[in-house]
Amino acid sequence: MLQSAFEKVIVIGYGKITGEILEYIIEKQQEFGYCAAFIEHEVHPFGITEKICREHQVTFARIENKKELASHFGSISEKTLIVSASNNFLFPKELVEKENLTIINFHNALLPDYPGRNAPSWAIYMGERESGITWHYVNAGIDEGSIIIQKRCEIGPDTKAYELAEQLMKLAYEAFVECFEDVMKARAVTRPQPLDGTRRMYRSYEAPGDGFFEMTQEPESIYRLLRSMDYGKSNIFPPAQTVMDGKKAVILRYRKIFGDLPERKEGFCYLPMGENTFLKLKYANVD
Amino acid sequence: MKLKGENQKMEEKVLEILEEHCEEALDYDGDSMMEDGVIDSFTVINVVSDLEEEFDIEIDAKYVIAENFKNKEAIIAFVRRLMEE
Repeated sequence: MLQSAFEKVIVIGYGKITGEILEYIIEKQQEFGYCAAFIEHEVHPFGITEKICREHQVTFARIENKKELASHFGSISEKTLIVSASNNFLFPKELVEKENLTIINFHNALLPDYPGRNAPSWAIYMGERESGITWHYVNAGIDEGSIIIQKRCEIGPDTKAYELAEQLMKLAYEAFVECFEDVMKARAVTRPQPLDGTRRMYRSYEAPGDGFFEMTQEPESIYRLLRSMDYGKSNIFPPAQTVMDGKKAVILRYRKIFGDLPERKEGFCYLPMGENTFLKLKYANVD
Repeated sequence: MKLKGENQKMEEKVLEILEEHCEEALDYDGDSMMEDGVIDSFTVINVVSDLEEEFDIEIDAKYVIAENFKNKEAIIAFVRRLMEE
């Protein structure tokens, strides 16, 4: 059995990466001799973690209430590693400073850039050509802890927020596997984030461009805004808005299309993006 | 007769979309593609986006649930319901 600094490893989060990390933690349980557990704080419509826990007889707890969750973590007495993967619960200072708890978090940007929420959206909106992931130790600040590992990826000219998010999750899993042994043995080489107190924190209630564009904007910039807000049906952001023919409109769908300009149809608009390329918008007027 | 032909066309289109994003879904005969790791939430986003575009329908987030994406038959039935609405 490999020497481990922890008796218990708890995974908290939701979505695809959380399931993959949970499976990895379970797989490594015997090798390192810890006890694995999972906490679901935010319920995901396609969540598979409960099933994974059931199959492997791993403790599964659903704790949606923040106070209850903090109290649950506060009651842990064993030396514990908490793996926060795609998790929006902010660990209070008293938990972060609790001696027996070590918390690592996956952030979907190259910290110190784009701390806070919806980082893939902001990276696309700002026209970045590159993004990446960071695993870091959690301290009392938001996304401020020392960096354990980072990995980079490109942002393509058509990349949508959910596509980037997926790519980042793949990278996050790879990076997690890479640094896991060092973290478990408490020998990970970290580096502090270069923070100068001026970086912007992105909040959950903020949307790129306030979720609004003018029809007079360059189609490329409209396309970028729409891509940055696109998480499919996840409703992370409300639909983008504009003013169409003097009336407020919400964008129901958009797509880059190629070929001749299609015939004008009610509720559709086509913006030229170059030779035989159009940004197709489906919209609905709202009061 | 016409309706039957349209239904068949719709089914073919749905299968084409599935094939493009998740070929494995075509051979799957269980009842939870998600739990069985055949399809993931990101693939669902792509499938939904293409279904909306192909059939010019809007799919409300409340219908994007595992039950409606449990296998190809469920997806076809789901699209049929939306088109009949």
